[in-house]
Amino acid sequence: MNLTLLPDLLLAGMLIGLAWAALSSDDLRRGVVLFIAFGLLLAIVWARLLAPDLALAEAAIGAGLSGALLLVALRDGGGADQHATKPSTLNRWLIDLFVLVMTCLIGWVLWLTIYAEPVERLAQLANAMLDRSGVSNPVTAVLLNYRAYDTLLELVVVLAAVLGVVVVGRERRGYREAGPVFHGLVHWLVPLLIVTAGYLLWVGAHAPGGAFQAGATLAAAGIVLRLAGYDAAGLPDGRLLRWLLVAGTGVFLLFGLAMSFSGGGFLQYPEAWSGSLILIIEVAATASIAAALVLAYRGGRTDGWPLMDEKAENREVSS
Amino acid sequence: MNNLLIWPVAVPLLSALLALLWPRRSTWIGVLGTALSLLAVVLVSRQVIESGAIELALGGWSPGLGIALRADGLSVLMLLMSTLVSMAVAVYASVYFSRSERRSEFWVLWLLLITALHALFLSGDLFNLYVTLELLGLSAVVLACLGGSRESLQAALNYLVLGLLGSMAFLIGVALIYAGYGTLDMAALAVAIESGPTAWLALSLMTGGLLIKSALFPLHFWLPPAHSNAPAPVSAVLSALVVKAALYLILRLWLALFDEVVTQTAALILGLLGGIAVLWGSWAALQAERLKLMAAYSTVAQVGYLFLFLPLLAALPEGTTRDVALGALVLLALTHGFAKSAFFLAAGVIMQRAGHDRIAELGGTARALPVTAFTLALAGVALIGLPPSGSFLAKWQLLSSVFITGQWIWLPVIAIGTLLAGAYTFRLLGYAFAPGEGVGPSLSVGREEIPAVLLALVATLVLGFWASAVWELVPISAYAGGEG
Amino acid sequence: MTQALIYALTGAVLFMLGVRATLLRDALLPRLLALNVCGAGVFLIFVSLAYRGDSLPVDPVPHALVLTGLVVAISATALALALNRRLREMADE
Repeated sequence: MNLTLLPDLLLAGMLIGLAWAALSSDDLRRGVVLFIAFGLLLAIVWARLLAPDLALAEAAIGAGLSGALLLVALRDGGGADQHATKPSTLNRWLIDLFVLVMTCLIGWVLWLTIYAEPVERLAQLANAMLDRSGVSNPVTAVLLNYRAYDTLLELVVVLAAVLGVVVVGRERRGYREAGPVFHGLVHWLVPLLIVTAGYLLWVGAHAPGGAFQAGATLAAAGIVLRLAGYDAAGLPDGRLLRWLLVAGTGVFLLFGLAMSFSGGGFLQYPEAWSGSLILIIEVAATASIAAALVLAYRGGRTDGWPLMDEKAENREVSS
Repeated sequence: MNNLLIWPVAVPLLSALLALLWPRRSTWIGVLGTALSLLAVVLVSRQVIESGAIELALGGWSPGLGIALRADGLSVLMLLMSTLVSMAVAVYASVYFSRSERRSEFWVLWLLLITALHALFLSGDLFNLYVTLELLGLSAVVLACLGGSRESLQAALNYLVLGLLGSMAFLIGVALIYAGYGTLDMAALAVAIESGPTAWLALSLMTGGLLIKSALFPLHFWLPPAHSNAPAPVSAVLSALVVKAALYLILRLWLALFDEVVTQTAALILGLLGGIAVLWGSWAALQAERLKLMAAYSTVAQVGYLFLFLPLLAALPEGTTRDVALGALVLLALTHGFAKSAFFLAAGVIMQRAGHDRIAELGGTARALPVTAFTLALAGVALIGLPPSGSFLAKWQLLSSVFITGQWIWLPVIAIGTLLAGAYTFRLLGYAFAPGEGVGPSLSVGREEIPAVLLALVATLVLGFWASAVWELVPISAYAGGEG
Repeated sequence: MTQALIYALTGAVLFMLGVRATLLRDALLPRLLALNVCGAGVFLIFVSLAYRGDSLPVDPVPHALVLTGLVVAISATALALALNRRLREMADE
């Protein structure tokens, strides 16, 4: 046993311990708080594994926004077991056995592939092609150039989910207007978050950062506004909101199609332009992601979302 | 450049964005977008039929570093089914949702669902498949809760949670594949993957995740509530297409990527589960008191039939015999897709006229809604597998594969399943064609009844007579290690 | 490579802990936490595959995949919470 491994072992142990505690807690509030702590610890692990982009994203999205959403769900009184049916002892036993066997199998395969007979993966290729990608942050190169199609579809996933929130949800009641201290805090926190988001977006081309981290930070600004009693949380109403939601996917898709019309392949950036095109796409994506996340936090329909009445008119009669 | 391949994805996606921006025009955009997607798929299919499998390396990066789209016989057949079914359903939905306040949201999500299906059938990259699976799952969940009732929301939520668990299992399989082989490109993997613990475990995990999504017994329990409580047009695509997407992926993995890993035992286990699904699903359909619930249980049974093919495929040597069996499987899946969507649309028409879908009170349907009653009968023919439907030919091939491989165990399953399917179909038709006042007076319902009857006609006649086209297309494979 | 292995194994444990809790728990919120822990486990496996020691450049591809996965995960979580909320409102009405 090598002593230099001690910090890693400690971190790993704490991760498992926190996850276990969060998942086995019967008190939901405790579970959520432990889960947020788990997310923050995970951000440290990402930093340890030389993944600063992920550390930023995890802190903002994984721990921050997920945490905010879960805490709001608690405020709504969500999720308590109403008629909890405890699984029988035999079922528990079988599930535990299954979990144990699968953990060992996955662990064995990971040991084989990482330790016993490691293979060459895409690291060298991805780093070698970086010069032709238009950016110098390799993660941004993968996200917006090599595997840009994944990112396009991922923005569509966000869109589908937020539409779902709008369809099923009614807007939550807002928060009381904040007291003077918090109000003062808001006045410098929101601009700070917006500036940080802008910085993260800009710096993403060559250093850790990018559209997702920036979008999440911008969304945090919206959430702070909402907490301070601004019900709209900084989002526009009506048509402008729709444009904001569509912007990321739309710009991405139209650029991709334009490239295929101008003689290249779909999403094949002309090399001289790729840096600027990627930045424009990222700006639009940031706006859409932030809008979607704030809308998800706000919990559904707004006055600006027209044509919706409380009673769903459905001609089908459900028995 | 085969930029053609991006259009089946780009057209519905672009239409979805337009429908979101112009909610007042959403119906037009929705129907037109679906029609243009159909056109895009037809163009792709024509090229595959003329010149074989095609590939598009997105972004100009070699597949591996970048993502490739690929179209071959199997994906073209699935694309054609999904686009034809969605075209017919879209026409019906334009009436069904015409007065709903969620019209605009319906059309956006509808187009996103088509985007997801097409992206899934064309994707040649394992992680990209995960993203398309999530897009498909989320848009399907939202569509399923448009009904707005408590039951439909609860069913949609269960569907979402189980779907997420399935996606996670799929994703960890993808991680193990990347660990072991250093690439996510499916064509490269088809060559590289060899039998060993990594491949074996990854295949098990991915298949396990997909089994939840394809609702194979005993993981089927989420399907009947989710499919029977959704609005009729949504039920139609959920049962006909969304379940098939997971099945398509299982076929891809088992036959093209992991063909050297699959063991006879593993295939036999899935076959046995399929057999139980056939018997249990048909029995439950026979007991069902509601039309849509009956259709949903029948889907559980039909999915079971498709899994019966896996042990047969695993036992057959690569070559013509196996291709014939595979073609039969695809033909059965296609027939069920068309027949079941027709069935759900007909159920929707009846439900809107009668205000309920209790089977025992459907007397008078044939007189009030003759076209819809005819649709139910035609779809029933295809569900049972009577000639001249596509499923008749498919089951015939299924039987002959049973004879070739000597796996006699499946004979009673097929026989009893077919009898039960006959029983539940004729039970329904008995009520529907009986005199009675259960269904209100007839109104002019052209745009609602015609799509359903067309879908049923495709299932019973077109697929029956042009089944040879399916058998010709299936052997065209984009994956070297596969059946080609 | 030992570090990578430690974290990859941790990922495997987290994944199965998540699966276990998803199967055992009944209410939505604990199940969502469990699914998110599941996801974290898979992400940890991906990222440890990318790590090639402190001196070699990392493999950026898994990092990008995990970023995509994170965003997908929060979208799904938000949708599930919204559905759950609506259900509770209906139960109260």
